Amino acid sequence: MKTLPLILFGIAVLAQWAAPLSQIWTHEQVLAKGTLIKLKCQAPDPYDPLRGRYLAVRPVQQEATVPAGMKLQVGTTIYAQLTSGADGLATISDFSLTPPASGDYIRLKAGWVYNEKMSFEWPFDRFYLNEKLAPEADQWFAENIRSDKAIIAEVRVLNGRAVLEDLSLDGKSFRQILKERMK
Amino acid sequence: MNTSHQRWLLEQLPLWERDGLLTADAARTLRERHAVDDSQPGLAQIVMGALGALLIGTGLIAVLGYNWDDFSRPVRLLFAFLPLLATQLFSFRVLQRGTASSAWVRETAALLQALATGACIALVSQIYNLGGEWPDFLFWWMLLSLPLAWVLRSHAVAIFYLIGIAIWSVNQVDHGRPWYDSPLLYPLLLLGLLPYYWAGWKNKALLSNSVRWVMTISAIFGFCSAAVFVCARGTLNSGYHEESSIWLWTLTAAAFALFPLNQSSIDEPLRRKPQVILGSLGLLVYGVAATFSDISREILWGASHALRLPWCWGLLAVLVVFVLLALMRKRWAVLAIASVSLLPFLMLPFLPLSLSRVNDRPDGTLLSWFALLHLAAIGITLIVLEFAGKKGAPRLGATLLSLLIIARMADSDLSLLVKGLAFIMVGVAFLAFNILMSRMLKNKAAVSTAA
Repeated sequence: MKTLPLILFGIAVLAQWAAPLSQIWTHEQVLAKGTLIKLKCQAPDPYDPLRGRYLAVRPVQQEATVPAGMKLQVGTTIYAQLTSGADGLATISDFSLTPPASGDYIRLKAGWVYNEKMSFEWPFDRFYLNEKLAPEADQWFAENIRSDKAIIAEVRVLNGRAVLEDLSLDGKSFRQILKERMK
Repeated sequence: MNTSHQRWLLEQLPLWERDGLLTADAARTLRERHAVDDSQPGLAQIVMGALGALLIGTGLIAVLGYNWDDFSRPVRLLFAFLPLLATQLFSFRVLQRGTASSAWVRETAALLQALATGACIALVSQIYNLGGEWPDFLFWWMLLSLPLAWVLRSHAVAIFYLIGIAIWSVNQVDHGRPWYDSPLLYPLLLLGLLPYYWAGWKNKALLSNSVRWVMTISAIFGFCSAAVFVCARGTLNSGYHEESSIWLWTLTAAAFALFPLNQSSIDEPLRRKPQVILGSLGLLVYGVAATFSDISREILWGASHALRLPWCWGLLAVLVVFVLLALMRKRWAVLAIASVSLLPFLMLPFLPLSLSRVNDRPDGTLLSWFALLHLAAIGITLIVLEFAGKKGAPRLGATLLSLLIIARMADSDLSLLVKGLAFIMVGVAFLAFNILMSRMLKNKAAVSTAA
């Protein structure tokens, strides 16, 4: 057996393991050590053909005022400081171009910037659901479209990284609600 | 001669020897000259192996995509890694056996591993609810699969990779992206297949026809996406001139048609040179369109803006090198067709004289006439070359002339009766020429048989 193809194959195998394992390591760290924050959001139900059914998670806060003196372009990395209110829900209180020295923050990408306003992309945008639960979620949204009840995204945050842990409604896991509706 | 022809020849040799048509020495020489390399898979083998692997792989992705949320996270992660591990072991075994493994097994192992890699990263994204767009996922999937095309010499993975990077490039044309996340990366991604090509070249194995076609089509999408991206990005402050991409596409088509070939590749049948077929076709469609003055005006307008882009100058530099190499190889017919792409360039010195008052756009009349005369000259050249005993393309030449006449008729204010009669005359002339060419070819064949 020739050596070079074997070495290349070994490198390929290592890379094929390293890519998902690095993701797992990073996200497990965030889930284990990160602070839990809650964000108010909306969630319709699209479909991802490669990764299955998911709910598109869209926090309510999508725009903000650009802090004075901050120069931004589309795609610039920014750090959003998160502050929890009396209701336990977090909102972005400030932006900076470098990681804040203290407190919880998320690394974001700036979107359009116009007239001192900017949009930004949250680092999570989907919550995967079992194929059986997804139609039930559709049904739930159809019935509750005019309801004041908001879906809450429970997100773990650590060193600017964020992992969406669960969705909840009235303090109850949304997945659990759907399972109970199916019974 | 392709593999199926060679197999047929090898089957016939014993019969011909037995019938006394060939001596044993002549048969041996033919056997040596047209030996079939069984390490190279046939099309049917690739298709069957790839189809099986595709079905298993996509089935795997769908099963994992079901989202088994009754299982804990570690168990689901195990589901993601087990198929990957199994396919890696399978590929390792194939690699270990070397030439003892048949070609279709090699293809199947490589494609299965590539699909298991995709399934694994997709499942990890699903378990951790990772965001991101599907082109990002596709990009990393293709990069992680690429080495399998090199080490297992897998045509199926090479084709899969070529399709993947083309789809990714088309999806990255938004001008807001940085260069490293845009179709400008496509040339580098294409170069990623160089070790695959190199390994085949070292073993004197020709690139399979299916890989050649997919590579050409992938490159068309990749380079055209890059052209759209640079036009959108380069003209952000002065407004987007989508017309600029048209000329860049044409220069790309010319580079395809003139892509350097060695003498044995030049002597191959045209169907094994998809870059020449598709590049020439693109150039001729562009040339015929340029004979309409409205379209010529847009082309000139776009070309004047495209010249401000470094990508355009890069393409022109590549084209100059390719032209010189084609001149050395005396590829006259392809050079004649490729020259169509440079028409707007030659017209630029005349631009200030032909500026029209409408929206400051240049007048396209001069270019349209240039294009018409140039294409007519190419059509005639392609016919004359053949009659002069050189390698021409008489049928293509006749088709080109007919198309030009039809285009001018469609463009003119002549009555329907005159247009109809002209169409009939062109049709009759075209058929008569076709009959003449068929007879000429038959006579040539008869003369060479008699000799």
